[in-house]
Amino acid sequence: MVRIGVDTGGTFTDFILVRDGAFVALKVPSTPKRPEEAVLAGVSELLGEGVVEAEVVHGTTVGTNALLERKGARTALLTTEGFEDVLEIGRQNRPGLYQLTASRPKPLVPRSLRFGVRERVTASGEVLVPLDRERVRELRARLAELSVESIAICYLFAFLEPKHERETAELLAELDVPISLSHEILPEFREYERTSTTVINAYLAPLMSQYISRLEEGLALLGAARSSRRFSLRIMQSNGGSISARAATQHPVRTVLSGPAGGVVGAFTIAQHIGLPKIITFDMGGTSTDVSLVDGAIQTTHEARIAELPLGIPVIDIHTVGAGGGSIARVDEGGALRVGPESAGADPGPVCYGRGEEITVTDAHLLLGRLDPDRFLGGAMPLDRERTIEYFRAFRRRFPRPASEIEIALGILDVANANMARAIKVISIERGYDPRDFTLVAFGGAGGLHACDLAEMLSIPRVLIPPHPGLLSTLGVLLSDVLKDYSQTVMLAQEEIAPGRLEAVFARLEERARADLQAEGFSLERILLSRFVDLRYAGQAFELSLPFTREFIADFHRAHERRYGYADPTRKIELVTVRVKARGITEKLSFRPKERRATVAEPVARRPVYVREGAGPVAWETPFYWREALAPGTAITGPAIILEYSATTVIPPGWRADVDEYENVILWREG
Amino acid sequence: MAFDPIKLEIFKSLFISIAEEMGVTLRRTAFSPNIKERRDYSCALFDGEGRLVAQGDHMPVHLGSMPMSVRKAIEAVTLEPGDVVALNDPYEGGTHLPDVTLVSAVHIAGRPFFYVANRAHHADIGGMSAGSMPLSTEIFQEGLRIPPIKLYERGRLNMSVMRLILANVRTPVEREGDLTAQLAANRTGERRLREMVAKYGVEEVAVYMHELHAYAERMVRARLAAIPDGDYTAEDYLDDDGIIDAPVRIRVTIRIRGDSATVDFTGSAPQTRGNVNAVYAITLSAVYYVFRAITGGDIPANAGVLAPITVIAPEGTVVNAVFPAPVAAGNVETSQRLVDVLLKALAPALPDVIPAASSGTMNNLTLGGVDPRTGAPFAYYETIAGGMGASPQGDGDSGVHTHMTNSLNTPIEALEYALPVRVRRYGLRVGSGGRGRHRGGDGIIREIEFLTDADVAILSERRRFAPYGLHGGEPGRPGENILISDGVERRLPGKVNLRVKKGDVISIRTPGGGGWGPPSER
Repeated sequence: MVRIGVDTGGTFTDFILVRDGAFVALKVPSTPKRPEEAVLAGVSELLGEGVVEAEVVHGTTVGTNALLERKGARTALLTTEGFEDVLEIGRQNRPGLYQLTASRPKPLVPRSLRFGVRERVTASGEVLVPLDRERVRELRARLAELSVESIAICYLFAFLEPKHERETAELLAELDVPISLSHEILPEFREYERTSTTVINAYLAPLMSQYISRLEEGLALLGAARSSRRFSLRIMQSNGGSISARAATQHPVRTVLSGPAGGVVGAFTIAQHIGLPKIITFDMGGTSTDVSLVDGAIQTTHEARIAELPLGIPVIDIHTVGAGGGSIARVDEGGALRVGPESAGADPGPVCYGRGEEITVTDAHLLLGRLDPDRFLGGAMPLDRERTIEYFRAFRRRFPRPASEIEIALGILDVANANMARAIKVISIERGYDPRDFTLVAFGGAGGLHACDLAEMLSIPRVLIPPHPGLLSTLGVLLSDVLKDYSQTVMLAQEEIAPGRLEAVFARLEERARADLQAEGFSLERILLSRFVDLRYAGQAFELSLPFTREFIADFHRAHERRYGYADPTRKIELVTVRVKARGITEKLSFRPKERRATVAEPVARRPVYVREGAGPVAWETPFYWREALAPGTAITGPAIILEYSATTVIPPGWRADVDEYENVILWREG
Repeated sequence: MAFDPIKLEIFKSLFISIAEEMGVTLRRTAFSPNIKERRDYSCALFDGEGRLVAQGDHMPVHLGSMPMSVRKAIEAVTLEPGDVVALNDPYEGGTHLPDVTLVSAVHIAGRPFFYVANRAHHADIGGMSAGSMPLSTEIFQEGLRIPPIKLYERGRLNMSVMRLILANVRTPVEREGDLTAQLAANRTGERRLREMVAKYGVEEVAVYMHELHAYAERMVRARLAAIPDGDYTAEDYLDDDGIIDAPVRIRVTIRIRGDSATVDFTGSAPQTRGNVNAVYAITLSAVYYVFRAITGGDIPANAGVLAPITVIAPEGTVVNAVFPAPVAAGNVETSQRLVDVLLKALAPALPDVIPAASSGTMNNLTLGGVDPRTGAPFAYYETIAGGMGASPQGDGDSGVHTHMTNSLNTPIEALEYALPVRVRRYGLRVGSGGRGRHRGGDGIIREIEFLTDADVAILSERRRFAPYGLHGGEPGRPGENILISDGVERRLPGKVNLRVKKGDVISIRTPGGGGWGPPSER
C-alpha cells in the first residue's frame, strides 16, 4: 500500500508519498480556481505503475477560503420563532471598541433567508410548544422558490430534545439540499455559538461535497488507468485528525482551519518520536505566526474563530499573531517603532525582493547579514542588498533618535520578537505552564530565524528544527489519525452527578463513536476512545475540559488552581458537557534512523553577521552551512547559520546545534 | 528625545498584556453573569503616584474613573504589601454602587512602585431593589456604600469587612466568589509586574512608564492640531430623571486651540432628584472615550491622553453631582448622552469622522425574587443593545452595544438554566434605524416571561428624545417598554420599578441609530 499526504497551500500544493518506509516529497503549483487539479496532477506524478492500494490524506483550504471570501452556498436558517436574528445579533458586542464605524462581520445568512418556526423546548428538555408542522410545509415551498442551496436548523435547547429538528429535516427532505442540524453539529448550550457553527457547516456543505466528488472521480480515473483496486480519500480536520471523505461532506465545518493543524500534528509527531512530548510549536510565515502548546497531547479549544465568526467545534488551540517576515516596520506619530500587523505579503513583498517600498522584518534580517542574498530559495531568488541599504538609510532619517541602520534593524527584530514572545506567553505562562519545561519546535520560512532569540527571551532550553520544515504540515496531514469528537451538554449540579447517569451518556456517545469508526473501516482494536468532562464551579461561565477519571472533581480543583491561581474545594462544581474523543489509529510511518558520523561540517560561505553585544552592535565573522550537507552526528557552535531551500536557521553565539540520527537540528544554550 | 522608540513599543505592549491577562483571570473565574458572560469589568495598572499606565480594552465607561479610585484609595489608607482596598462609593472614587473596585499596591524597594486595580459590576450590592439599580432619590437607597477600606491586610482576608459586605447583599455566595476572582486578577497583575521589574530593572521601567504618558499625549496632540480651531457647542437631553417628568439638559462647548482643547459642560442642568446624576469620574470617562475614538483608538489608555484636555464640569450639576445625590443611572445612561453631546459638538469640525447618534442607552433591566425551583433568592442584571448610528462611511450595525459599553448578552440557554424566566423573543426591531444616505442600525426587541412573581427595575433612555441623525439623516426610532399581563399590553415609563406576576411578560424595544445624509441620496 502507498500513502500520500497532500496539503493545499496558497502557492504550492505539497505532497509526501510513503512506500515501504521511504518517502518522496513533491511540490506542484496550486490551482486556486480548481484546487483538485493540482492535487490530481501531483498524485498522478507520484504514483508509479501497479499500485494496488493507495490512501490519500488531504488538507484542503476549500472550506476556509469559501468563508474568507464569502463564497459559500445560498443558505437558509430555520430557528425557533422569535429568535431569527440571534445569528446577526451575536453576543451584541462589537469588535472595534473605539471604532465609530460599523465593525461587525455580516451574518452568513441574510435576514430574508432566516425563518422562525413555532416550537419550544425548555431548559429541562421538555417540549413546551409542539412543532408547527404546517409552517414547515409552507416553508418547504418558500425555500424551493427561493432556490436555497443549503439549510441550517437551530432550535433552542435542541441538544436536550432533538426531535423538532429531526422532524423538520424529515419534512424538508424532498427539497434535496444538504440540511445541517444543530444538535448533530454541536450538541452544546449557548445558542449563538451553536447557530454560528451550524450555519458555517450549511454554508460550506454543497461546495465541499462538489469538491470531494470531483476529487474522488479524478482519483478513480487515475486508479483505473493503473489498475489499482482500492483508492481511499481522507480529509484533514481542524482538531488534528482526519475523517473519511464522506464524513467531510456531511461535516465540512470540521475541515476549516485544518491547515495550521497539520503543522502542529507534524511537529508533535517528530518531537515525540525523539522523546520530547512537551513542545511549543512556532510556525512563522510571511504575514502571521501560529503558536501552540502541546503538553504530552495536542490540546483543542471550543472558542476558535474563523473569518471573525465563532466556531464551537474542537479546534487545535493555536494562537495567531500578525507578525511575520513581511510585517512592515514604521514609526508612529508618537515616536514608537511599530512592526506589523500590516504586512507587505508576497506582493509587493519586502524591499529586498525588489518591489516593496516598506521595510519589513525580512529586510532587517538581510541587513544584519542573517540571510544569504545569493542562496535564498536555493539561489532562485537573489535578494537586493543595495536596495535594502538605501531604504534603511531613508528610514534612519525619519527615525526619532540618532541610530545606525544596524541598530534600527536589530530594533525591528526586538519588536517583532516581543510580539511573538507575547503570543507564546499567552499560551504558556498565562495558562500555568512554565516554558522552561518545553522544547520550541520552529518551522515555516522564518521560524528558524527567530527561534533561538525567542527561546532566550522565554528561558526555553531547547529548539528543534525538523527536517524539511516547509513540509511539516503535509507530514502532519499524512500521519494524522482519524479523530472524531462527540459531545453532549448535560448541565448537572454536583449533587446530581450519579455515576450511572454519566455512564449512560458516555455509553451512548461511545456507541456512536465506535459505529462511525467501524464504518470508516477500523477494527475495534484500532479504535481508541477517551472520555472528557467540562467542569466549572457552579455559577461560573467558563469550563475546564479534563480527562474523566474517578477523581475528576479533585482534578478540577487542581486544574483551576493551575490555570487561575486559586481553587475552592468547598465550592460546588457543575458538570456542563460530556465529551468522547474517538481515535481511529492509522498505520504509522516508521522513521529510519541514520548512522551518526563524527564529521566536520564545511561552510559554504563566511560572512559578517551583526549581533547586539553590550552597548552596541558587533559584526561576527559567521560560517554559513547547507543543511543537506550536515550529516547526523554533526555539531556546530554559534555563531553560525544553516541554510536550506525554504528556510534559514540562526545559531547565535552561545548556542550549539546537533544534528541527530533523524536529521533534526537540535539547538541548545551552552553552559 | 531621550527615549528609545524600540523600548517604548516593547514596554507599551508589555503593560497592556499584563492588564489584559488580569482581565482573563477575572472573567474566567467570576460568578456574576455581569462579569463572566457580559464582561462588565476593567483592569488597569498605575504608577507609584497613581497615574494610569495601561488599561485593558474592556469597558470605556471605566476609562476615566479607574484613576479616581486609585487616587481615593491612596488618600484614604496607606497600602502596605499584601493589602487590598475595596471601594464602590461614587463620592470616594467609585462610579455607581454595583461597580466594586479592588486596589492593591506593588511594593518594590520599600515603596509602592505600582498600583493594580480592577473593577467589576456585581449582580447585586443591596439597597431597595434586587440588582441595585433602583429608581432612587438618594444614594442610601442604592445599596451598600463601601468607602476605601482594606478587604485584605498583609495578605489576610479581613473577615469582619467581608461579613459586613455579605450581610448586606442578596446573593452573598456569588459576591464572595466574585471578590475572590477580583483578588486573583490583582495578584496576576502584581506577579507579572514583579517579573517585569526583575527583568528590566526599576529605573528602566520607571523611565518607560513616564515615556508612555508622553507618547499618548503626543498622539492626542497631533490629532487635536488637525481639528480646526474654534468653539463647538451642542446640547441634547435625557428624557427625565425617573422621578420628575422633565427633560434634563446636557450642554457642552469644546474649544479647540492648537493642540489643546477645553471641554466645558457649563450650562448643563443642575443635579437631579432622580438617579441620572453622573459623578465627575463618569464625565471624564466620556471625554476620554471620545478623544480616544477620534484619535484612532490604538493609543495606550493612560494618563497622557487627557493631558492636553481641560474638562470643566461645574459642581452640583448632572455632570458632576455632589453627595448624597443618587447616581445609579449616571454610569450607564448619562454617560451615553455625554458621548452623544460631545460627538454632536465635534460633527462640524470633523464632518468625515463623526457618526449620527447611536441608541444612546444601555436599556438596563434588573430582576430579583425567589427561585421556586430552589427557594434561593436571585438577582440578575442585563443591558440590551440597540442600533448604531450611521457614519459617513456606511450604515450602522444593528443590535449592537455602542460607545460606553461593550458588554455581551447572556445566552438565552444560559439564562433559562439559571433563572425562573423564559425568553419569548430576542430579535431586531426592524425599521427602527433612522433613514438616510447611510441607514442607522436597528434596535432590539427582547421579551422575557416570568415563571414566578418578581421585582423588575428598568432604567432606559431615548424613549422620548430620539437618537439624532446627521447631515440630513433621519433620527432613529425611540425605544419602548411594554408590560403584557393577562393578555393586556401596557406601556411602561422609561424608568420604572414594578412587581410582576408569574406569567407576565416584559417587552423591551430599544432605539435604532440615527441616519447619516439625506435619504434621497441612498
